[in-house]
Parts: sequence; structure tokens; C-alpha cells
Amino acid sequence: MEIENKLNEIINIILEKKEKEKLEKLDQNLSLRNDLEMDSLDLAELTVRIEDEFGVDVFEEGIVDTVKEIIEKIEKR
Amino acid sequence: MDLFFYWGKREKTYHQLIEDINNQKTLEKYIKKIDAYEILKDIIVSLISGEKIILLDSDFTKEEMNNLGISLQEINQEIKLKKDKINSFEELLEQINKKKEGWEITLYTSGTTGRPKKVRHNLQSLTRGVKVSEKYKNNIWAFAYNPTHFAGLQVFFQAFYNKNPLIYVFDMDRKLIEETLNRFQVTHISATPTFYRSIIPYIKQQIPTVERLTMGGEKYDETLENILIKFFPNAEIRNVYASTEAGSLFSSKGETFKISERMKDKIKVNEDNELLIHKSLLGESETLTLDGEWYRTGDLVEKIDDEHFKFVSRKTEMINVGGYKVNPHEVENEIKKVEGVIDVLVKARNNRITGSILTAEVEIMEGINKKEKEKEIIKVLEKNLQNWKIPRIITFIDNIELTRTGKKVRK
Repeated sequence: MEIENKLNEIINIILEKKEKEKLEKLDQNLSLRNDLEMDSLDLAELTVRIEDEFGVDVFEEGIVDTVKEIIEKIEKR
Repeated sequence: MDLFFYWGKREKTYHQLIEDINNQKTLEKYIKKIDAYEILKDIIVSLISGEKIILLDSDFTKEEMNNLGISLQEINQEIKLKKDKINSFEELLEQINKKKEGWEITLYTSGTTGRPKKVRHNLQSLTRGVKVSEKYKNNIWAFAYNPTHFAGLQVFFQAFYNKNPLIYVFDMDRKLIEETLNRFQVTHISATPTFYRSIIPYIKQQIPTVERLTMGGEKYDETLENILIKFFPNAEIRNVYASTEAGSLFSSKGETFKISERMKDKIKVNEDNELLIHKSLLGESETLTLDGEWYRTGDLVEKIDDEHFKFVSRKTEMINVGGYKVNPHEVENEIKKVEGVIDVLVKARNNRITGSILTAEVEIMEGINKKEKEKEIIKVLEKNLQNWKIPRIITFIDNIELTRTGKKVRK
């Protein structure tokens, strides 16, 4: 749960900059690109912030797209 | 005035300097000292005795020395001095002149790859930019560089040959600087832009005694120049381009450097817009790699016409964000325009999405709400810069980390 909350915070930092509505609760099925409309710079920021928080490079092994996939990567660390 | 050096609340006159020189019986071949006066005195002692010396940063670690190929045993080599007694400043200069053939000083400079380069200079290459005349005899210098580095030596020799006082402010508590500049009626300051930015928040009133401010070692900063003019209303501001490899080469008013007649055949700009210096201008070194007869400076310039150019950035400092090359200085300049920002350092942060993104470490005035300021900075940048030039992560820190030379640490 703590991972989810932290991740939610990080995603909201990025959404706020994009002037998009913040997420109250993190839906694991959300697609970063399609639902949250993150472009590559947003994703780059996301991966760096996740790395700082959790010490995991979530894009290390390939393309990650859903919130669920990110959480799995973090839990596997 | 006979003052030679003021540092850490102590001072020595030229008379006392000569006494100390006369009393000195030995000299360390490797000069690795913290005390700035001792370093300068040892340099003068080496000059009058014609002994070759090696200048090291006092904070080099064992590991760093090892990387330089210097053994700890070597460091302790002591030279027994044979020298005549000096009775006056004029005799001191005469003695230096007598012994200058064969004298040399070895310096280490931060290489682009992080591994220091070793460069040897003789007195001629070290003092190429030094001017001596009646006009300079009343100058009073603030010494704002590390004395073991090239820029520091330049200031030292300029002051020394004109018998000027040197006021050592390089590592001085920034709160004391305004009072010190006023007390000694400093007329000349030579420093990096970063140094000037670090003192500005502590200057409360105009300092009218300063006639000349010189900036060097980093990219020219117009915003800074405009602020400095307010605090030093009588100062002319000059930018110098010097390097440990080649010494002092160009000086400019504003950002455009003029290639003098003397330099015309000795510098060129290659197809990548990199500034090249002819080897005849360089100190001696085995660790510098030459491209034929030319040394690649790593500095990217923009030619304005055959005689003028300006610096764009360091070749190695360009940051690639998703295929776009960003000049971090450009971003820094924009952030510096935001009210309350004292200093900023833009760096690359690697990632697998865009190669790099930009991060910014920002130093702001006390008492400012950081969250609000972050929003404001982003807003200003969104207005002034293309999207990929905007740092994605902004952190607020108390002090921008500096290298030994007083430049910012970008990596």
C-alpha cells in the first residue's frame, strides 16, 4: 500500500505540471501513455523519480505501460 | 602602502615577505599546502633559487595523488637552498630575472574526462598577460582564486610585479567580504562568475573603490554583469579566456572576444566550431593530446567575423535530451532571472526514455517558499524555453557544489 501511495504522489507531481486533474486513488489498470497521456519527457521524469524513491529502474528491461507493471517492478526489487 | 598579503585576519608586508624568504633554508619540491601565503612565498623562493617545483591542491587525496602518478615518498623531497640575501623588492625582482632560465612550475588541471592533466610552465608563459607600469602601481587586488591554479597565479603575478597588495577572499566567509573590500579599498577583483554570484546576496551597499572586475573560467553571464554594475558602479567589467594549458589568451568587454593580430595565426575554429590553439601557445606537457600542431580546447565558439567570436559552451557540457542538444548555461541563465534565485546548476540525469533529462539545483534567498518558487520557475521557463530545455526535477539546496577551481560541478 505504501508503494502505491508513493507512486500516486509521484504521478500527481507530473500530472499537476501538465495541468491535468490529480488522481485521488491509483487505478492499477491505468495506462501511462493512453490514460494519463504522458509523453516521453513525462515518462523520463517518472522513471527518474521512481528510481530516486525506490532504487529501481522500471524501464530497465523494456517497455512498461500500466501502473500495475510499475508496481510489480518495484515489488520485485 | 607596503602590504603584500592579507589572509585569514593576518597580514604580511613586502618587507616581511623578503625577511621570510631570507630566513627560509629549505624548499619542498612538491608544494601541497593549505596556507595561501606559504604557497606564494614558496613560489617566489623557487624563482629566486631557480628550483623547479610542482604545485598541488592541498586537498588532493591519496587516491588522487595515485592517479596523478605521484608517490607519497616523492612528496616529502626537500631541497636545500643556496641563495643570496635579498635586501629590497628591487633586488628580489633582479634575482628572479637572473634565475628565470630553467625555472619551471608544474600544474595539474581538471581534464574533460575528470582525470587531471599535467602542464609545465616557464616564467614567460605564466606571465604573458602581466602588465607592469606606473598606471598599475596603486592597484589593490582581491584574490578570489585557488592559488594553486592557473587563474590564481595570473592574479598573483600581475599584483606582485606591480608591488600591489593582495587581499585573499577566495575562502573567506561571504559575510565578511563587503567589509573587507571596503577596508582595504580594493580596486581590482578577478574571479569566476560563480564567486561573484556567491557574494552578491551579502553585499548591502555600493562599493565605489572597485575600478575593474574580471570574470573568467566559466561562461560569460550577462545577467550577472548587470547585477554587478549596480553594486560596483565605478567598475569596468572584463571577461577573460584563459586555460591552464595555454595561459591567458583573450579578454573582452561583453561576450564577444576579439582575436588580436598577435593571435591571428595561432588560433582557429574547426568545422565542429571548436576553438583550436596552436601548440606554440601551450605550456609543455606529455598528457595533452594534439591534433597535428593544434590543441583542441573543447570550447565551442560562434564566429562572428574573421576577428570576433563568442563562446557558446563547452563541448562536453551539451546535454542530449531525446535527440535535442541542450546547453545547460542557457537554462541556467533563464532560471537566474527569477527573483530570489542566487545560483543554479543544471545537470543531466540519465534515463532510458530520453537518454537524459535536465535537473536543476537551485539556491534561493532565505525565507522564500520553495514550493511556490518551484512553480514560478517552471512557469517562467515554460514561457521562455522550449519544452525539452525545462528541467524536470528542481531541488533546492543551500550551496552549489564547487570544484577546486571554484567552478560548478556539473557531473
